[in-house]
Amino acid sequence: MEVFKRAILQPGPPETFALQTVQEVIKPQKQTKLVQDENQFLENILRTLLQELVSSSVQSGEQIMEYGQSIDDRETTQGHIPRLLDIVLYLCEKEHIEGGMIFQLLEDLTEMSTMRNCEDIFGYIESKQDILGKQELFARGKLVMLRTCNQLLRRLSKANDVVFCGRILMFLAHFFPLSERSALNIKGVFNTSNETKYEKEPPHGISIDFNFYKTFWSLQEYFCNPTSLSLAPAKWQKFTSSLLVVLSTFEAQPLSDEEGDANNFEEESANFSIKYLTSSKLMGLELKDPSFRRHVLVQCLILFDYLKAPGKSDKDVPSESMKEEIQSCEERVKKLLEMTPPKGKEFLHKIEHILEREKNWVWWKRDGCLPYEKQPTEKKVVQDGAKKRRPRWRLGNKELSQLWKWADQNPNALTDPQRVQTPSIMEYWKPLAEDMDASAGIEAEYHHKNNRVYCWKGLRFAARQDLEGFSRFTDHGIEGVVPLELLPPDVRSKYQAKPNERSKRAKKEETKGAAHQAEDNQITIPSSEIDGEGIRGGVSAAMEFDATAIPGTQGGTSTPDDHQKQSSDTDVGQEAGQLEADAEVDAAMIDGETDADVDLDAVG
Amino acid sequence: MRGDATSWDENAYRESILKEREIQTRTVFRTAWAPDGNPNPDTIVVASSDGVVASYSISSCISKLPLGFSNIKTQKFLAAEPISFLQGHNGPAYDVKFYSDDEATLLLSCGDDGRIRGWRWKDLTEVSVTLQGNDVEPILDLVNPQHKGPWGALSPIPENNAIAINTQEGSIFAASGDSCAYCWDVETGKVKVVFKGHSDYLHCIVARNSANQIITGSEDGTARIWDCKSGKCIQVIEPAKGLKSRGFFSRISCIALDASESWLACSNGRNLSIWNLPASERISTIPTRATVQDALFDNNQILAVGAEPLLYRFDMNGAILSHIQCAPPSAFSVSLHPSGVTAVGGYGGLVDVISQFGSHMCTFRSKSV
Repeated sequence: MEVFKRAILQPGPPETFALQTVQEVIKPQKQTKLVQDENQFLENILRTLLQELVSSSVQSGEQIMEYGQSIDDRETTQGHIPRLLDIVLYLCEKEHIEGGMIFQLLEDLTEMSTMRNCEDIFGYIESKQDILGKQELFARGKLVMLRTCNQLLRRLSKANDVVFCGRILMFLAHFFPLSERSALNIKGVFNTSNETKYEKEPPHGISIDFNFYKTFWSLQEYFCNPTSLSLAPAKWQKFTSSLLVVLSTFEAQPLSDEEGDANNFEEESANFSIKYLTSSKLMGLELKDPSFRRHVLVQCLILFDYLKAPGKSDKDVPSESMKEEIQSCEERVKKLLEMTPPKGKEFLHKIEHILEREKNWVWWKRDGCLPYEKQPTEKKVVQDGAKKRRPRWRLGNKELSQLWKWADQNPNALTDPQRVQTPSIMEYWKPLAEDMDASAGIEAEYHHKNNRVYCWKGLRFAARQDLEGFSRFTDHGIEGVVPLELLPPDVRSKYQAKPNERSKRAKKEETKGAAHQAEDNQITIPSSEIDGEGIRGGVSAAMEFDATAIPGTQGGTSTPDDHQKQSSDTDVGQEAGQLEADAEVDAAMIDGETDADVDLDAVG
Repeated sequence: MRGDATSWDENAYRESILKEREIQTRTVFRTAWAPDGNPNPDTIVVASSDGVVASYSISSCISKLPLGFSNIKTQKFLAAEPISFLQGHNGPAYDVKFYSDDEATLLLSCGDDGRIRGWRWKDLTEVSVTLQGNDVEPILDLVNPQHKGPWGALSPIPENNAIAINTQEGSIFAASGDSCAYCWDVETGKVKVVFKGHSDYLHCIVARNSANQIITGSEDGTARIWDCKSGKCIQVIEPAKGLKSRGFFSRISCIALDASESWLACSNGRNLSIWNLPASERISTIPTRATVQDALFDNNQILAVGAEPLLYRFDMNGAILSHIQCAPPSAFSVSLHPSGVTAVGGYGGLVDVISQFGSHMCTFRSKSV
């Protein structure tokens, strides 16, 4: 202990000698960090030392925090106790000793001191707030600190030491994180013991409207316990009727600015009481007091806000009629507040603002008090920005960029033989063929021919691999293109080319042609949707198609040739005309196809 | 099933209809707080248009109210039971006043029948209520003199619209319908002085006892200050002079004197003008929304009621300090108890008792015959 005493007297910053001193006394197992028992031992020494210092300072009659202070010509040295605290705080901060020790000492110190000295001590605590609030120390000492502060608050008079109380509360508010829940009334329990007592029997000797007196103060019961209102409609009725009486009385007596001013002076003398004075003798004076009126009206607003706020369950929501009543009352109250001098409008504005903020807290609480502090990590990133930049996504976010990069990352995807191949039409048409098998019993609306993309792809494959099948498209539509081998025998016969039939049907072709064309156009529609990108590849694709189309037309003309041989000569002229028409139709159809094909190509 | 019309009494039916109307339109013309030395306002005397002078107990009215509720919102007003009930006058009773003497307190009332009647207040409070209202004989019964016309024809008895009292001189002043004011001697029951000069009937009268003067207000639009000794008019006050609204609204419907008897409030139509009597100067004119029908001074504030359901409180400069909603749609009387409790009486036979806080202590409908 003597060593420590000497250490306190040593000048210079604690860094230079603090650790040495500890090592000298304790002779610790590890060089810089004490283990459990050693901490305990050190703590005992320090607490005893502190006790001694305090008692000797009391004996000397000096302020605790100033004891031992010497004022030289050049510099003022610290008192002994702050010196000791500084050293311990330094050790704690560097984690040489257990972090809770400084808090322990501070608690001891406040407990040993008078209120006046506590103010000095608290000044010290405030000055070291930054260090004490560091994560490591805070975690060790927050409970002790809270206890210390609460003890102090308990010892202080709420009426006389307002400033000190405020300081302590401010400190706590800064010391603890904003979303610290420990001081929170999580369930929203009302302090129902905060009862406002008032006279139940009319007084003798003076005359007052006792009914009004009772009505007026009975409101406080509801303010004190608002839950009762939302539960019992009868109570709500009673409350509103009482409130209306009070409001109309307030309205009947608007307060002049003079009265407001008179009150202003009073307020400056800081005469603030926590409870209402309910003596019936004061009623008349109170009704003329603007600040009293304000208190009551603000209470009303708070209550309305509570009632309007949604509860935990949906059942708690007030009924429609109740909402309306609240609304009308609230408007009246706000009007009254506006009228109440001094500066009614500003006052109302402020109150509304505060209530608005309060609402946010209610929501926060309702959502389960999520912590909302932004951790300082973000700040660090900004500071280290020069070295380690967060990768910036070229296309806005990670997913888009990944999509973009895929091509680079998989260069083989395009050349993979597994992927780059046209499926054979035999494989491709299988699903449609199954649809067409009546025995499979697939309903028409689920047939693959309804899928226009499927049909288009199929037509293109057919055009490349199976021209004959492709040409059947003219007569039988998409189902005709399906290779006959895939079809069951009974269906197959239907699509087999029957030259005789064909020549007869050719007569009707003219009328049908229009229908075909319409059908084709329909089929092109989906491809035209993807039109935009296709212009680039348009020319080559069209040429490519021309090449395929020519045999198609040839095929088309070749069959009529066959007919010609078989049919009678009289028909020839007619036939020829029809052939022309037929060819025209085909050409038109092919034209339609070309367009579509171009698009498909471009996309593919 | 039809009624049997053989014994139909047309007159009785007519009368019953009229009676019903009368009851509905019954009006309280004056209320007066009884001087019983109680700091709490308790007994109030009400004079109403059916000639009834009745007294009511406020505390019993309050006790009959449903607790915690003010009945101002509910249109059904409490029908109060009087503690004494007098059929004071034939025709409306216009004014009641208490005449406090050393020996006994008299309740004076005047009415449309031209009489001033006085009862011992003690007798009234002791006698149990009977609704006939004729069992207590007045100890004072003064009848206005009739004017003699040619061939000895007598004019009808002029009505008394208001009375004022000078206890020291033992006089009662009456504002009469024959445009005269009379000064009666209480002891002898004779007219002492007749104040002649107004050109139309009188509405109101106040006694300025410190100067032994009376002030009268008349339909002719003037207020006059009279010397009681000589019966001469000292000063004519014309509030409407210089105002454009002279004419229809120029009558002086009410006059009030403050406690120091140096300030005078008199209403003409929709204006209430404040005069300083020593300086005989108008200080301010307060325009009001409706005709002022009664006013009185409360220290240096003025309470006024009129043809709207509001009780106004003005300061001397005419600024509205407060206006309190009150029950009677048109108020004819406002009276103030020393404790600050105000009673407003008016149309519908309603009396609204308003506490010093501006809250309604009770509202009741006075009892009719």
